[in-house]
Amino acid sequence: MNFKENIFLIAFLPIVLLLYYILPKKARWGVLLASSLIFYILSSGIFTFIMLGTSVTIYVAGLLMQKINDNFKKQKSIEGITKEEKKLLKKKATNRKKLVVLAIVIINFGLLLTLKYGNFFLGTINIVFGTAIPPLSLILPLGISFYTLQAVSYVIDVYRGTCKADKNFGRVLLFVCFFPQIIEGPIGRYDKLAGQLYEGHSFDYDKFMKGLQLMLWGLIKIMVIADRAGIFVGNVFEKIYDADGSIILLGVLLYTIQLYADFSGCMDLVKGIGQLFGIEMADNFRRPFFSTSVNEFWRRWHITLGAWLRDYIFYPISLSKFFANLSAKAKKNFGDFLAKFLPSAFALFFVWFINGLWHGAEVKYIVYGLYYYVVMMLGLLFEPLFVKITNALHISRKSKPYFVFQVIRTFLLVNLGMLIFRANTLFDAWYALCAIFSKFNGDIFATSVLSYKLHIYDFVVIAIGAVALFIVGVLQERGHHLRDEIAKKNIVIRWIIYFVALFILVIVGAYGEGYRVADFLYAQF
Amino acid sequence: MEKKILEILSEVKPGVDFEGRTDLIDAGVLASFDIISLVSELNDEFDVEISVVDLVPENFNSVEAMAKMIKRLEDED
Repeated sequence: MNFKENIFLIAFLPIVLLLYYILPKKARWGVLLASSLIFYILSSGIFTFIMLGTSVTIYVAGLLMQKINDNFKKQKSIEGITKEEKKLLKKKATNRKKLVVLAIVIINFGLLLTLKYGNFFLGTINIVFGTAIPPLSLILPLGISFYTLQAVSYVIDVYRGTCKADKNFGRVLLFVCFFPQIIEGPIGRYDKLAGQLYEGHSFDYDKFMKGLQLMLWGLIKIMVIADRAGIFVGNVFEKIYDADGSIILLGVLLYTIQLYADFSGCMDLVKGIGQLFGIEMADNFRRPFFSTSVNEFWRRWHITLGAWLRDYIFYPISLSKFFANLSAKAKKNFGDFLAKFLPSAFALFFVWFINGLWHGAEVKYIVYGLYYYVVMMLGLLFEPLFVKITNALHISRKSKPYFVFQVIRTFLLVNLGMLIFRANTLFDAWYALCAIFSKFNGDIFATSVLSYKLHIYDFVVIAIGAVALFIVGVLQERGHHLRDEIAKKNIVIRWIIYFVALFILVIVGAYGEGYRVADFLYAQF
Repeated sequence: MEKKILEILSEVKPGVDFEGRTDLIDAGVLASFDIISLVSELNDEFDVEISVVDLVPENFNSVEAMAKMIKRLEDED
C-alpha cells in the first residue's frame, strides 16, 4: 500500500482515525499498533516476521541492559565496597552492555546487509574470483533500511542512558513499525517518538486541519510536480546516449526537482498523517536549496539520516581514543589546522561511505557518497584560501550577492551529485557529464524536447510548481509560518485556499493515460 | 570559565560573535565538524571527558550551556 493510493487515503486512514478517536485514550496506541501491523502485512506479507524479529531483538537487548544496570546498582550499594571495586564493577557492566549492543548491531545490520547487499557482494566475488555463483532471490521487507537504523538507535540510546529500556513489547514494536514512517522515515528516536505514540491524544481541530493542509501540500508536490517531472527524467535517462547535452542538463535539473518534491512531499504527507493523530514527527527537510555549502545542504536534506550518521557513526569515531591520540600526534607534527582536520576527515570518510552504501547496493551509490565527502573535504581544506581570496578582492562574505553566489554554487554541486545518483551506471553519469559540455545544441533541444512524453503544458506546470516551491521556501526562510497564517484567516478565505489546493491536486495532478501512481523514490532505498 | 570558552570558540570558529547567542547549534553556527574540535579543546583545557552522550544541542547552544556542562562533568569526577 502506498500513501498516495486511494485505498489508503479514502479507506485505511479514515477508518484508523475513526477508531483512534472513538476508543478510550488508553486503547488508542493499540489502534496505531494494530493498523501499523495490518499496513505492514498488506505490504510485505510473510516477510513481516523479519521486522518482528528485529523488534524482538531490540526489546530483549533493552531489558538485558536494564538488568545489567540494576545488578550493577545493587552491587555497588553493598556496604564496605571500595571505590576501586566500584570502578571495576562499572567497567564489567559497561563491557557486558557493549556486548549486547554489538550483538544487536551484528544481527540487525547482518540481516540488512544480507537482504539488501547479498547479491551485490556475490557479484563482486564473481568478478574478483571469476566464479559463477548464481544470484539469490532475496526480497527486501518494506522500509528495512529505515527501521533498522531506528531500531538500532533505540539499543544504543539505552546503552548511553539517553532513554530507559521499555518493558512493554507493544510499545517497542509500535516504535519500529508505526505505519506513516515505515516507507521512507523519518528515522525517529525513541525518547522523542515512543511516548507520543503510546499517549492517547485528544482530538485537536487546529492540529487536525494543519495535518490535512500539510498532507495536501505534500500530495501537490508529489503528484503535480514530482510524478510529472519523473516522466521526462525517466525517458531521458533510459536513452541517455541518444539525448543531446541540453536535454540531459534539463533532465538532471528536473530530477533534482523531482527528488526534492517527491521525498519532501512524502515527508509532508507523513508528518501531516502524524498530526492527524496529534503526533509530531521529526523534520526531515528544512529548505535545503537555500544552503550556502554542501555541508549545510546535508544538514537540511534528509535530516534524520544525517543526524543518525552523526550521532552513531561520526561522533563515536571522532571521539574515540584512537582519534584523540591521532589528533594529539597531528598537533605535535603538523600544527593546529591539520590536528583539527585529520580526525574529522577520517571519521567523515566512514560517514559518507555508509551514507552512499545505505542508498543502494551499487558502486554508483558509494561513489555518490564519496563525491560529497571529497567536495566537503576540499571545501574545508581550501577554506583559508577562500577567505584570503575574498579579502584580497574586497568581497564581503556576509553580503547578499555572496550569499546568492554560495547558494547557486551549492545548487550546482548538488545537481552533479544528483546526476551520479540518477544515472543507470557510473559510465552513463560520466557520459552525461561530458555530453552536457561537449554535445550541447540549442536547435536539437528545440526540436526534441517535446519527444520525451511531456507536453509543453507539463513543462509550464512544473515551472510554476518549482517557482511556487521557491516562493514558499523564501517566505519560510523569512520566518513565516504559512499554515498558522492560513489558520488565522477568516473561514471564507481559509476554505477558498483549501478548495483551490484540492482543485490543483485533482485537475493538475499527474493522472490518467501516460501517468500512473508512482512509488515513492526513497522507498526503494 | 565562560571567558576561556569564548576564547576557544573564537579559535575553533573565527569571525563569529558568540556572546549572547543561544542558538549556536540550532542556527547551524557550529557544525558537527566544529563540535569535534571544540570538544577536544574543552577536554584539554578543563581536564574533563566530554562523551558522545553529552553531544546534544542543549549542551552547545550557548557559552553558558557549555560552562554548565563542564561544571557538571567536573563535579562528576
